[in-house]
Amino acid sequence: MNFSLASTDEQRENLDSLKRKLGRAWQSVGALVVFAAMLALVAISTPTFIGNGGITIIASATAPIVMVALGQAMVLNIGSIDLSNASITVLGALLLAMTLGPLGGLAPVVVIIAVTLFGAINGLLIAFTQVPSFALTLGTFGIFQSAALVVSGATTIYVSENGGLISVLFQSGIAGLPFTYLLGVLVAVLAWLFLRFTRPGMAMTAIGKNESGAIFSGVKTRWLKVLAFALSGFMSGLAGIAIIAQAGSASPMGLGSDLLLPGIAAAIVGGTSISGGVTNPINVVFGSMTVALVPIATAAIGVESQAQSLVYGIVIIVTVALTLSRSSNSIVK
Amino acid sequence: MTDKKVAKTPVLVLDHIEKSFGSNKALKSISFSINPNEVIGLIGENGAGKSTLLKILTGIYQTDAGTIEVNGKKVKFRNPRESVASGIGVVHQEQSLFTNLTVAENIAMNSGSGSSASSKFGFYSWGSIFKTASKTLSTIGSKLDPRAIVGDLPFVDRQMVEIARAISVNAGSGGCPLVILDEPTSVLERHETEVLEREIRKIKEFGSVIFVSHRLDEIMRNCDRIIVMRDGELVADRLVTDVTEAQLFKLMVGHEARAVSHVRKGLDNSEVPAIEVRDLNRSSKFSGVSFSVRAGRLTAIVGATGSGREDLVRAIFGAEKIDSGTLLVGGKPVKNWRIPKAVKAGIGYVPSERKVEGMIGGLTAAENVTFTHPGKAAVGPFLIPKARKKIAQGWFDTLDVRPNDISQELGRFSGGNQQKVVMAKWLNSPDLRVLILDHPLRGLDPGAAQTVNEQIKLACEKGAAIILLADTLEEALEMGDEVLVMRDGEVTSAFDLAKDNPSTLDLLERMV
Repeated sequence: MNFSLASTDEQRENLDSLKRKLGRAWQSVGALVVFAAMLALVAISTPTFIGNGGITIIASATAPIVMVALGQAMVLNIGSIDLSNASITVLGALLLAMTLGPLGGLAPVVVIIAVTLFGAINGLLIAFTQVPSFALTLGTFGIFQSAALVVSGATTIYVSENGGLISVLFQSGIAGLPFTYLLGVLVAVLAWLFLRFTRPGMAMTAIGKNESGAIFSGVKTRWLKVLAFALSGFMSGLAGIAIIAQAGSASPMGLGSDLLLPGIAAAIVGGTSISGGVTNPINVVFGSMTVALVPIATAAIGVESQAQSLVYGIVIIVTVALTLSRSSNSIVK
Repeated sequence: MTDKKVAKTPVLVLDHIEKSFGSNKALKSISFSINPNEVIGLIGENGAGKSTLLKILTGIYQTDAGTIEVNGKKVKFRNPRESVASGIGVVHQEQSLFTNLTVAENIAMNSGSGSSASSKFGFYSWGSIFKTASKTLSTIGSKLDPRAIVGDLPFVDRQMVEIARAISVNAGSGGCPLVILDEPTSVLERHETEVLEREIRKIKEFGSVIFVSHRLDEIMRNCDRIIVMRDGELVADRLVTDVTEAQLFKLMVGHEARAVSHVRKGLDNSEVPAIEVRDLNRSSKFSGVSFSVRAGRLTAIVGATGSGREDLVRAIFGAEKIDSGTLLVGGKPVKNWRIPKAVKAGIGYVPSERKVEGMIGGLTAAENVTFTHPGKAAVGPFLIPKARKKIAQGWFDTLDVRPNDISQELGRFSGGNQQKVVMAKWLNSPDLRVLILDHPLRGLDPGAAQTVNEQIKLACEKGAAIILLADTLEEALEMGDEVLVMRDGEVTSAFDLAKDNPSTLDLLERMV
């Protein structure tokens, strides 16, 4: 009697811990599995897709999304949101197109410093005026957009000289994947290392989980918020460089201007929590690939263009529903 | 147990109740009964199964085996509403009132949506809501205005509303109501506790009470019978007259209370104080406060609600603004005082709002231990997970944190074990100069409380200056080298316990 009880207990415990492990494993590979399943679906229905450089197409479409999404993930991780990132991408791309001629190799450096400062300004205003990030970046979104219009004279700016310095990034590096995509993956790995293995990284996660607790533990929360937004600006600027590399031109309403929502979607599909304190930059890469694949896949399968947004919406909801961590509580913001 | 013949049917009979979570047997065959107009004390360490038992009685959990009878009727609660309907009301450990609603609406929540008196066709009948509320409030002898918004009331008044809501369960059911008070006193100041104890005696006139508390003296004062739980089992069911506090401690914890030796060092004014304040002011919080604490000494500050002692210690930690006056750390005056500077200067703060301010519940216990003072767990900005695990495991073993699993999220531990980790977070500092403790024993079971107290003494011996806001005056007198009394934001008197020997009454007189 006693013996049988003990063994069922043990079995139950093993089952419980197995369930927990499976749950955790699923969360860490869920985004990848969803991406692979979608890719398989496309490969079966349109066998020529993969052979005709489909992977390269997905990777180059992923590049700007993953950079913006990684920046958004850093901001979401501290419990804030950055609605201005896509307008920083466009402004950065325009500045690069304009300065590449006169400044040459110095131009990307100058642009990266500028966009990082734009992000830092967002962060400073949020940290020291306490205006909620949603409202503040909604405001700076408009400001950066206007700046882009003014700087460009509301027209498309073409890279006149030294274009080769940047367009080389769009050429394929390893296994047919463009350097822009590989740069995105590299940034993701660095972001992951930063969050997992540095004190400021862990402090940022702590802010997202419990800001008061972080404050009372001696964390300089304001400066870390500035840092998170500066990183978002920096990564948005990288997306701008990826756009110049791909298109050789930039315009205030063109490529990159609609990156805000795909960026948020990619971060969330990659397991980032909208209420803060949970993100995994590596998974954000898979989230971005999923988000980039949907329009390509629907077109490849032959879904009518009117229905593409519908498919896009369904995929986002299903993926998040499948990979969401529900262990902690049932309250969802 | 006594076999006194009771004519009336018991209010509650539990027969071989069992409950497991996975492999963890939270309740192992619990049986007891409660008679009408009886106050039962329910005690046990965190994790002994008290909360599980209460959740079964209130319909949040369902039993695996065993039967429950209420007022002679067999019941099986599938949800909290069924428990309320049968006459069981609860005053929760953490208040569960709707702070934006009126007192009367909150009380009506229980007597409830089902009764036709408070609503007609889904519409409020305000007149009868207010009438019922006034009647209920007068039953417990409270003079609260039923129209007041709960959020505007002080804590102790809100507790009265909780009690009124809890006893309103029997409106109509006829039987003797059972009110469960789940650690209601853990967040109350002493004089507020007296109000609550009066209420218990009031409820006893018409109902029965299960009183859960970690303070054994309160249990002895207020209860007729005491039920002790340990590791999911009922280890004792005794009349209060048959048992002593020391015996209860042993029954709960499983070993005798360790004597905490304490040699008072007296106040040596030749040393430079570790922390000193001179004429410190903050408008409407505290004014003209001057005192100092030297290394290796413990100063306890006592005072009623509104005495300003919480604001004072938070200002010393840099968490609140100082309007004027001087704060000296290690003899040097400081400027633009903020928490990061205070932490850097070697000041630690264990806040009373543990879950909100004391810890990051979503991070693991190990990450919390090394979060502020990582020691070897970080080289510059880089974290060393291996060293982190070693340090955290060391503290877990020293403080007997249960479960002994450093990689679990801190939010999943019980209150007492969380507090041990919060202590470890500051004790892990290599040069802890000042440790500020704001109600460090709040909500802790006696075993955890003893561990925390031992660590406070140890930190003191290692040379930290300690400022303690104790839960009780007895605690302040037992732990302190010096006791400061605050009233209305000012220090009204100071006792050097090496020379003076004030009684709790002496302190109380100067507090109010």
